[in-house]
Amino acid sequence: MQSSHQVTRPTTSSTPGPVPTPAATQPRPVGAALAVRPLVNALGPRRYATINWVGLWTLYAKEVRRFIAVGTQTVLAPMVTTLLFLAIFVLALGHRVDQVGGQSYMQFLAPGLIMMAMTQNAFANTSSSLLIAKVQGNIVDLLMPPLSPVEQTIGVAAGGLTRGLIVGIATGLGMWLFTPLQIAHPLVALFFAVMACLLLSLIGMLAGIWAVKFDHMAAVTNFVITPLSFLSGTFYSTERLAPVWKAVAHADPFFYMIDGFRYAFIDHADGSVMTGAILLLTANLCLVWLVHRCFAHGYKLKA
Amino acid sequence: MTEQAGAGLAERVSVSSKVAATRRPLALRTFGIVNWLGVFSLTRRQWRNGLADYHYQILGPVVSSLLYLAVFHLALSTMQSGGTGDMLHFIAPGLVIYAACEKAYESSAATLILDKHERVIVDMLMAPLTALERTVAYAIGACGSGLAVGLAVAVATLIFARQVPADPLALIYFAVGGTIMHGLIGTLVGIWAQKWDQYAVIHTFLLLPLSFLSGVFYRVDSLPGVAQLLISCNPIFYVIDGFRRGFTGDGVSHPLVAGGIVMLVDLFLFLSVYLCFRRGYRLKP
Repeated sequence: MQSSHQVTRPTTSSTPGPVPTPAATQPRPVGAALAVRPLVNALGPRRYATINWVGLWTLYAKEVRRFIAVGTQTVLAPMVTTLLFLAIFVLALGHRVDQVGGQSYMQFLAPGLIMMAMTQNAFANTSSSLLIAKVQGNIVDLLMPPLSPVEQTIGVAAGGLTRGLIVGIATGLGMWLFTPLQIAHPLVALFFAVMACLLLSLIGMLAGIWAVKFDHMAAVTNFVITPLSFLSGTFYSTERLAPVWKAVAHADPFFYMIDGFRYAFIDHADGSVMTGAILLLTANLCLVWLVHRCFAHGYKLKA
Repeated sequence: MTEQAGAGLAERVSVSSKVAATRRPLALRTFGIVNWLGVFSLTRRQWRNGLADYHYQILGPVVSSLLYLAVFHLALSTMQSGGTGDMLHFIAPGLVIYAACEKAYESSAATLILDKHERVIVDMLMAPLTALERTVAYAIGACGSGLAVGLAVAVATLIFARQVPADPLALIYFAVGGTIMHGLIGTLVGIWAQKWDQYAVIHTFLLLPLSFLSGVFYRVDSLPGVAQLLISCNPIFYVIDGFRRGFTGDGVSHPLVAGGIVMLVDLFLFLSVYLCFRRGYRLKP
């Protein structure tokens, strides 16, 4: 019974398979074929314009939804921690000094803390996204879709940038409840916020591409990112530091982000704002190129 | 060749089983009032789990504590002439006890959540241990890993803020009391939590503010009255204050009151964890 069924099968297989090629399909009414053809796109390779906008937007939306889904940890927690820092430093040091950089200590501290929260979260977003995808094995979902290395770089970096800016706005609003923040130069603030978040997003991507285990990432965060952001002049004006520490602060790229951002708020800078802006722009361009090379080459991503 | 080896192995197995049979008859294993070996094994396991990957489990807190010291030193040096020694001597003990307590919390909570996720929690539940023995093992294991981190941070910070402990007894009492308190809080959180989010929420929104706002970095007695009243309701404040008294010989609260409160809170937490283990709350079906 069974064998006879198998024998007869080839003769009755004129019914269309699940994926018929255009040549194998039975003749249909002309009107139906015309209606279907453009949708199926003749089942050839799908073509894109210079930029695959749908793919880019999907990647970006995925990166953003990823951190919004755990908003308590990714937005609220940094905000609370930053407010704690503000409270601690103002309570511990605020009464010892009248003015720093022509402002009260709280006014001086706030912009630097906002910048610190933004950069740390931009870094955390891209690095954890890539590393978790690698550890769980779903990095192929980023590598297999028809996205060019440029689109991959932009999509992931923009996700980190968005998290940084959202954390910055949340933290700023939280601080505004305690101290009236005024922005002297809004455009400068926007420029430095975007440039700094982008820079740390790109560094986070490099770290995520390089790291294999969560320990590696913890090491980068603990021993590189946190020290650089702590010693960058967030908590003190570098003008009155001892020469050695002043040199350390001025060699720290975080100093220029925080100094430029603070200048936008309180109209006072320790270093040169223009130098900082050019430095950040150059660093971002270099890093975009570098991350793009990593994706194009598949360094530590593709077998 | 292989046959010979196989025969030899079989012989050896049969001999060893014979030996075992003659030495220890197959009967129910019995324990005294306390299963010392079991308690010791679980404690050691907890202690070692907390300190696996020592290079970042211990080095991480050390580096961040040194960073806090550096930042306070630098900030203060731009604000006033003269040394910053007083400030550093004040902050360093706070950082030490904070790092130790954080580690104790993390050690017990993280192992429990991880065990639940990986379904190896049965190893702890099936072992012939009473609820009391489990509670003791978790408390002491967390205390041990907390004290190890605290010691490392103390050594590192004392290089920059040299001081001789004024009252070593108070130092040890509050270090042990504080780490046990956090270890038991961590155990409760580990029993209750099903996701890492919940663990992180308790840490970020409860323990971190409670310790940072209660005198790790500043003198509480310079705050307004309402804030002081609120802080005096916070048991973690007494841990920090008592521990600092052990270092500097100077504190805000009365040492006996602080010691008593820490002891009471520890006992209360111990009882809660014990009841959870005995009932199997969120652990057994």
